Amino acid sequence: MSSKTVAISTRPSFGFIIALPLLLSLLAPMANASVAQEEQSGMAPEDVWSYEYANMIFPWADEGERILQFKEYHTYETMKERMLRLTQDNSDIFEFHEGLKGGVNARGEVVGVDSYEGWYYDHASPWLKITGDVQGGDYNPFVGDNGNYADRPDVLVVGNHHAREWMSYQTPILVMEVIAFSYDNIGYDNDGDGQVDEDPWGDADGDGILDDDGDCLALDASYQDSNGDGTPCGAGDLGVDEDYSEQWITDLVNGRELYLIPMLNVDGNIYDREVFCPAPAWESCPSGGWRKNLRDNTYTGVTPLPDLFEQVDEDCDGVDLNRNYQFEWGAPLGATGPLIPGTCTPAEGELDGSNNDVYNGPVDDKDNDGDGQINEDHVDGKDDDADGLTDEDWWGGNSEPETKFIQDLTEMNDDNADFSSEFKSTLTYHSYSELVLYPWGHCTGCESPDHQQLIFHGDEMAEMTQYTNMQSSDLYPTSGDFCDWHYGVHGSYCYTMEIGTAFHQHEDDIDHIAVRNLGVAFYMTEIADNPRERADLAMSDITNQSLQSPNEVNIPAKGNIPIDMCIDKSFPYSLESSVSHLMWRTVKPSRLQSDYGPREWSTTEWTGAALELIEDENCLIAGSKNGTILRATLDISETTTGQLHYKIMLGTLSGGDLYEYPDKGTYYTLDLSYREAYGSVFGSLFLFMVVASFVWGGLAVCLRMMLSDDEELINLADAVLEEEMKTEG
Amino acid sequence: MSEGGKSDQFSGRMGLIFASIGAAIGTGNIWRFPRMVGANGGGTFLIPWLIFLFMWSIPLVIAEYAMGKRSRTGTIGTFRIFAGKKFAWMGLWTAWISSAIGFYYAVVSGWTIKYFQLGVTGALNGEGVDTTEVWNAFLQSSGQVIFFQFLVIVLTLAAILKGAKAIEKVNIYLMVSLFALLFLTLFLSLWMDLSDGSLDGAMFMFTVDWNMLSEPEVWINGLSQSAWSCSAGMGMCITYAVYMSKDEDTVLNAFTMGLANNSISIIAGLAVLSAIFAVSDDPLATVTGGSSAITFLALPEVFAQAPGGNIGPLFMMAGFFLALSFAAMTSMISTVELCVRNFVDHGYDRKTSVFITGIAIFIFGTPSAVMWIELDSAGVAFPEFLEVQDHIWGYGLMFSGLFIAFTIWQYGYKKWQADVESGLADSGFRGYLTTGVPAFRNDFINTGDNDLYVNRVWDILMYIAFPLLFIVLMGSYFADMIASTDDVWNPSNPHGLGIILMFWGVVGGLFIGFNKLLVSRPLYRNVPEGAVCDISMLPGGDDPRVVLVGETVPTLD
Repeated sequence: MSSKTVAISTRPSFGFIIALPLLLSLLAPMANASVAQEEQSGMAPEDVWSYEYANMIFPWADEGERILQFKEYHTYETMKERMLRLTQDNSDIFEFHEGLKGGVNARGEVVGVDSYEGWYYDHASPWLKITGDVQGGDYNPFVGDNGNYADRPDVLVVGNHHAREWMSYQTPILVMEVIAFSYDNIGYDNDGDGQVDEDPWGDADGDGILDDDGDCLALDASYQDSNGDGTPCGAGDLGVDEDYSEQWITDLVNGRELYLIPMLNVDGNIYDREVFCPAPAWESCPSGGWRKNLRDNTYTGVTPLPDLFEQVDEDCDGVDLNRNYQFEWGAPLGATGPLIPGTCTPAEGELDGSNNDVYNGPVDDKDNDGDGQINEDHVDGKDDDADGLTDEDWWGGNSEPETKFIQDLTEMNDDNADFSSEFKSTLTYHSYSELVLYPWGHCTGCESPDHQQLIFHGDEMAEMTQYTNMQSSDLYPTSGDFCDWHYGVHGSYCYTMEIGTAFHQHEDDIDHIAVRNLGVAFYMTEIADNPRERADLAMSDITNQSLQSPNEVNIPAKGNIPIDMCIDKSFPYSLESSVSHLMWRTVKPSRLQSDYGPREWSTTEWTGAALELIEDENCLIAGSKNGTILRATLDISETTTGQLHYKIMLGTLSGGDLYEYPDKGTYYTLDLSYREAYGSVFGSLFLFMVVASFVWGGLAVCLRMMLSDDEELINLADAVLEEEMKTEG
Repeated sequence: MSEGGKSDQFSGRMGLIFASIGAAIGTGNIWRFPRMVGANGGGTFLIPWLIFLFMWSIPLVIAEYAMGKRSRTGTIGTFRIFAGKKFAWMGLWTAWISSAIGFYYAVVSGWTIKYFQLGVTGALNGEGVDTTEVWNAFLQSSGQVIFFQFLVIVLTLAAILKGAKAIEKVNIYLMVSLFALLFLTLFLSLWMDLSDGSLDGAMFMFTVDWNMLSEPEVWINGLSQSAWSCSAGMGMCITYAVYMSKDEDTVLNAFTMGLANNSISIIAGLAVLSAIFAVSDDPLATVTGGSSAITFLALPEVFAQAPGGNIGPLFMMAGFFLALSFAAMTSMISTVELCVRNFVDHGYDRKTSVFITGIAIFIFGTPSAVMWIELDSAGVAFPEFLEVQDHIWGYGLMFSGLFIAFTIWQYGYKKWQADVESGLADSGFRGYLTTGVPAFRNDFINTGDNDLYVNRVWDILMYIAFPLLFIVLMGSYFADMIASTDDVWNPSNPHGLGIILMFWGVVGGLFIGFNKLLVSRPLYRNVPEGAVCDISMLPGGDDPRVVLVGETVPTLD
């Protein structure tokens, strides 16, 4: 006994000695960490990320391939080669095209393949059709693409309207690379930190910080501003929005059709690179460069003076493609008409372009609708000549191969044959100014019908890029630009991203500017299903929308019971009864009710009641804001007692979202009381007489019979019987 | 043989009538009927309820009286004689269901006496009395519940110990008092209702909502109320018919009993509804609450507001609950007697039978009294074990009615077959219609003792209406249960269908197995002196072990 206690008492000290090194080793990292903190206040990129990510080496090419690593600009040729290469390697999602196949376009014009080729170098803009199973779906003979699915929203992303804005085609190329690399590459760890999909684009967790996983913020301050724009851990810095979900991208590719045109203005781009701005362009053309396409404005016969050289006349030639679209074309806002050859002069410096840099293209003197009049209905969304047709005889615009290409692609890409554009969202990259621009461009101080919604999405993208969101015309008014046409004519939510800080950005800045503007393309792709509704939903105070609670329901003395749903004015409700309805059932005391047990209820099946908009009344959301009333009227008879269970299913216009109130899977319970009159004096008196005479009268008759039976009738019957027997006998 | 071979009879017609009415009138008339009226559109409900009195209840009661009057035995003997030796178990089933219900009915009857006591002592109508608290406190005190249950059993046993004459006497006193008390309550209720401006309760009860009349639910509810409230087809009337004098009229008695039962329902309904409508803000919500809830929670509150200071409420409360306990007691008496009669038929001493039954009812009833006292969502106590018992056995009652109908159908068919053999009847369907179908009616109902001749309508009701209504009643009940109960087939779910079918199956199977044993025993018929109760034409009529009281059973190998 005693020896045992001794043994036990010695054991701890022995065990302690053995465990000591282990305990110390546990303390070691703490010690190390505290030492490290004293030396440096944060980590170095290589401590957190893979070598590749820390040095911005993209995973789709070797470190030394400078173009593919976005350390050097693509040329038209390298871009096209890369597009072909990726198409071959990703033939399930990429399809390569140049221009369109042609045929009869939406305006009844016969258009050939060459109609979309640049005036000078004869290249049609190369582009990719990107969608899941791109070889499936429908074939569009005019566009020439496969993979047209009626149920996949389409999105159009266009780069390089303006030849010298080189980042505007580099960024779409990065989009292409990322899609090719990420599709079906689920769970790829972009930054090699051991975590997956931990930092998607934008401020995903809503804490006001873009760096959702905080890896950039954990770096030493000296590493936090890797792009050198002065904002630590801002958009485009290493570690910010660097690990998006490959699954999400895969789903987007499978659920959308993306038309990616990295370089629209091939003519101008080649000319800018090869002729106008000798390499390095950022040195030869620090503030200018070639902007337009290469239309020959001095072509003999077009202008009164002969064009001596029949080659590019830098002072006069070219059309600004982003002033050439037809919507409100020609109103000279931020655009100029043609100058007379010989009077064309260079703007400011020799290599800054010409003084008609914003020339919007020639006037159209054709009778577009064949009614004998010319230019009587300008493209502005209105029926100017009141003939019942809108915008059928235009003054000009869409005159260039490049804009015609956009026009016919937009107008002929009609998956569901409804004669309207499939592109509900469109995006075009430009340089530079670090801005997000939304329509309108053609008017100042004006607001489009979707002003609030456009601002909403613009803000989202501005948050992602840390650029400034503004209405296009607030920068400077422009007429005939890409976005005014797409929004004005086709109702497409269209944004112009003015990216970077120069036309010819220094090649050291290609990678981080492209990365900074990458998410925008995916954002536009995501919202392509229904941008208006997405904005409305996001702006709606959905949590404060409310279904009338039982004590708010006003049960009328007679008739059906109305139940109101109070929704935000901007909520994109649908009144389609298959989508939105109030579900109700009544609960009555059960017939199975035990005589001895608790009250039991029998419940009817849920039925749906359609909703109607109550126009002349308002309700209050969260007690202060005016909301819209949607009302269901329940056919519940006045005699119904028990309970009413109700809940609402509120669908949106696109049918994509379903909101349930009071909450998912719950319902309100309203006690129903008897509303009918309890009865009429005469009716009840009548029935009382009937019942009383049946029951009490009957009982009285029975008793009378019984009593008389007992005393007299038996005797009587016996007497009768005896009589009978006597007579018989 | 207790009476030394003498038969046991009611002293006269009124004895039988009062005993039968006592059996028929129970808590169902007083606490179930007003709820059904409330939940089924007031006067609307009265229409199916009245129609089914004549279509279901009275025809069945006629059949019961006719059978009991001829067989002069309790349910087991009656089925043994009328349906044949193979079917004695049907009588056992009827007796068992009645006893199983008796087990918990004693507890319920105890509650009513307790409430009478509470009413008399004024414990229910003081300032700030919370009727829910009173009810919960009572139900949760096992000692009290058992005491009142025991009291009921003792009173019941005392009433039936001496046989028919005593039963008759007790029933007459109780029924007459019940009428008087209900009229007192009705008077006070109408006064209350009228003093708030209109007789809206009475008006509601007699106003038809024509839209509701087209709802099947109202008709099904009318049928089930009529089927239960009258105790038709449950063997009570077979049992009491045993004590009929020799030339008693079965038909008039059946009508009297049915109409008296409905009369009481109307009076009770009017009293309860008027009182509730006079006081309650939302009378229909009150009235459609659970049955025991209306009776023990709502009505005391309502009665407490009766006019006349303390006297009005006191009279109302005491009168109502005394009437209710009388209704319960008389039903309890018939339930126990049904069981006892079967023992006596098989040669047991009456005293012994009464005590065995009494002890069994007490022992098997105690779990219902004290087990699983739960609170519902509104915080009201309820005895879940009792409720489950009711759930299981309540609808078993209906099968007794089906067995009676089966007996009638079988008798008709055999009679026709026999007549065909002896050349008296056509072997075609027409022959069946003219000889088989009316056979029971001709041989056992229109015996000459009846003042009211029963015509073909009864045949049509028994052969066509009854089976259809039976299917509707059982079908809708099961369908409702299947639709509204989760896990309905699981026998361990006390509220499901599985548990019902399991108990029925086990009990039915056991009884069918017992059948041989049952018919191996001698059966003593309680035939009054001078009566001719010929049973030779019946399937079980040639059984040498079926003898008259006092006769000796021939020894058989």
